[in-house]
Amino acid sequence: MIEVKDLTYSYGKDKQVLHGLNFSVEDGEIFGFLGPNGSGKSTTQKILTGILKGHAGKVSLFGQDISAAHTQEFFWKIGVLFEFPYLYANLSAVDNLKYFSSFYPKEQVRSIEEVLDELEFKPDFLKKPVSSYSKGMRQRASMARALISNPKLLFLDEPTSGLDPSGAVLFRKIIEEERRKGTTVFLTTHNMLDADLLCDRVAFISDGNIMALDTPKSLKEQNSNHRVVIDYLYQERREEQTIETSELEEGIPFAHDEIISVHSQEPTLEDMFIKYTGRGLS
Amino acid sequence: MWKSLCSLFQKDCRMMASGKFFLMSLGFLALYTLYVNFGYIKFMDAEAYNVYLYDPVGTQTTVSTLVQRVSSKEELDTILLEDTNGVGIDASAGEPQLIFYEAAENADRHRIDYALSLLQPSGNYSAEVIGSNTPEQKARREITCELLFFEIAAVGFLGIAAVLFKEKGMGVIRVHAIVPLRKYLFILSKLTIFLLSDLVFAVLLTVLNVGLLETVTILPAVLLQTALLSLVMALTGLACALLLKDFRQFTLTYLLIAIFVASPVFLSANTAVKLDWIQYHPFYHMYMGLKNAYFGTPTDSVAYYLGCLAAIAVLFAGVQCTFRREMGKES
Repeated sequence: MIEVKDLTYSYGKDKQVLHGLNFSVEDGEIFGFLGPNGSGKSTTQKILTGILKGHAGKVSLFGQDISAAHTQEFFWKIGVLFEFPYLYANLSAVDNLKYFSSFYPKEQVRSIEEVLDELEFKPDFLKKPVSSYSKGMRQRASMARALISNPKLLFLDEPTSGLDPSGAVLFRKIIEEERRKGTTVFLTTHNMLDADLLCDRVAFISDGNIMALDTPKSLKEQNSNHRVVIDYLYQERREEQTIETSELEEGIPFAHDEIISVHSQEPTLEDMFIKYTGRGLS
Repeated sequence: MWKSLCSLFQKDCRMMASGKFFLMSLGFLALYTLYVNFGYIKFMDAEAYNVYLYDPVGTQTTVSTLVQRVSSKEELDTILLEDTNGVGIDASAGEPQLIFYEAAENADRHRIDYALSLLQPSGNYSAEVIGSNTPEQKARREITCELLFFEIAAVGFLGIAAVLFKEKGMGVIRVHAIVPLRKYLFILSKLTIFLLSDLVFAVLLTVLNVGLLETVTILPAVLLQTALLSLVMALTGLACALLLKDFRQFTLTYLLIAIFVASPVFLSANTAVKLDWIQYHPFYHMYMGLKNAYFGTPTDSVAYYLGCLAAIAVLFAGVQCTFRREMGKES
């Protein structure tokens, strides 16, 4: 779906922000692009969506070189959720969706009611102007705009930002549903939980370089110390021991009356990000 | 393409309606019409000075009918006491003597020349009368032209910026970068709506203030000039709104434009102020193009029309460029 080789980009003469990125995204994959502010995530997404021109290196989308790919037909096939919910504030969610969907072929456009229903949009707000919506409602309307054209490739920038926990769960469910339909998702996020739960593979980007690229599971496993911490009761006293995971194959290797909890010492995706990039995701 | 343009056009109409743009234009139309019909025409039509003649022995034989005769010197003095702008001629001693209350030097000279000219109305004056407009018609055409120019150059210019700043503020311009839409249509739609709005405004303003029958003869030329000015101003407004950060910056730029661009044009075209460099001022030519259209002598200079079209093409290309830059901006 997406092939990127030696991608570089500079704003002006001296401000190079991408230093030779290499990655590919398969059809139907959810690909996470993780990096702190100013790392080059947005620039990469803008190049892929055709907003920014003038890059160097090879980029192809839908099997076509990017210079030839950014046609009307290309924009029919993509959906983009921006970091902020950009909508016409004086129009309602329905009118916004009617307006933006009018640029796509009729047979491709989903029913507005169906999309808003899937996003559990409050019916009372359907005809009210966007200016009266909460941040979460705006984010839902914005997601509906990205999904209304039934895209084959979906670019999502911080999809769960501004949502309450139940909203975030709903959005993850919708993204999973898109994957089931065969949609490819390019997910840009700070949210490690989203990346961990949703992404087939993630790339860590820092200062315009990809520092690591693998499945979240593999990244964590490679850096695990293969230990578990066991919390237990023995002779009415609460104790804790750290053992090698291989020792568990023979059963619990110490005397105990009751096991309270077993915690794996596997690192989190955030730990991995800090390890590979040397900085946090702020 | 037409479907996309239609969607953009409908959305822009709603944006402008919600921003009360059409309502504001109607308000201005009513205000201008009231001003022209109940203010300008009534009070700007200053009457000529009254001239009074005391000529007991009848030395003046070729006096104009505009001169009012009085029967005594006392009556002449009394009447001038009431009509301080009037000019009295005392011809009782044979040679006409002028009597009036002193005012400004230039005005006094004019009063003297006028009063003396009425004593010999068939003198050797060779002024050629051109055109058939009555003074009221002339005044109506002149003021309508000025108001239309002001409406397009100032109010329309601000209107288009207000709409675009709203869209910039909402961030929706960036969304248009990723929808299947030829990007120039976004600009074209705004130009179309402002052009139509200005043309409708020009028709109504002209009909209401110049008169229906008179409008018929000058309308095609007036609409052509309106269209050129409207496109230039709308594109300038779009470029400024895209380049500048917020409406406050825009307002400052607008003030600069009003002071340094519009003022010399109005001064040169409507007053005795002569500026040698005004012929290089593009808006002077556009204003004169509109004025000539109102007076039934439309500009036929090919260079003028080519210049206007070239300006529109360059501005359109510039606006497209800044529009693409705006789409790629960070939030």
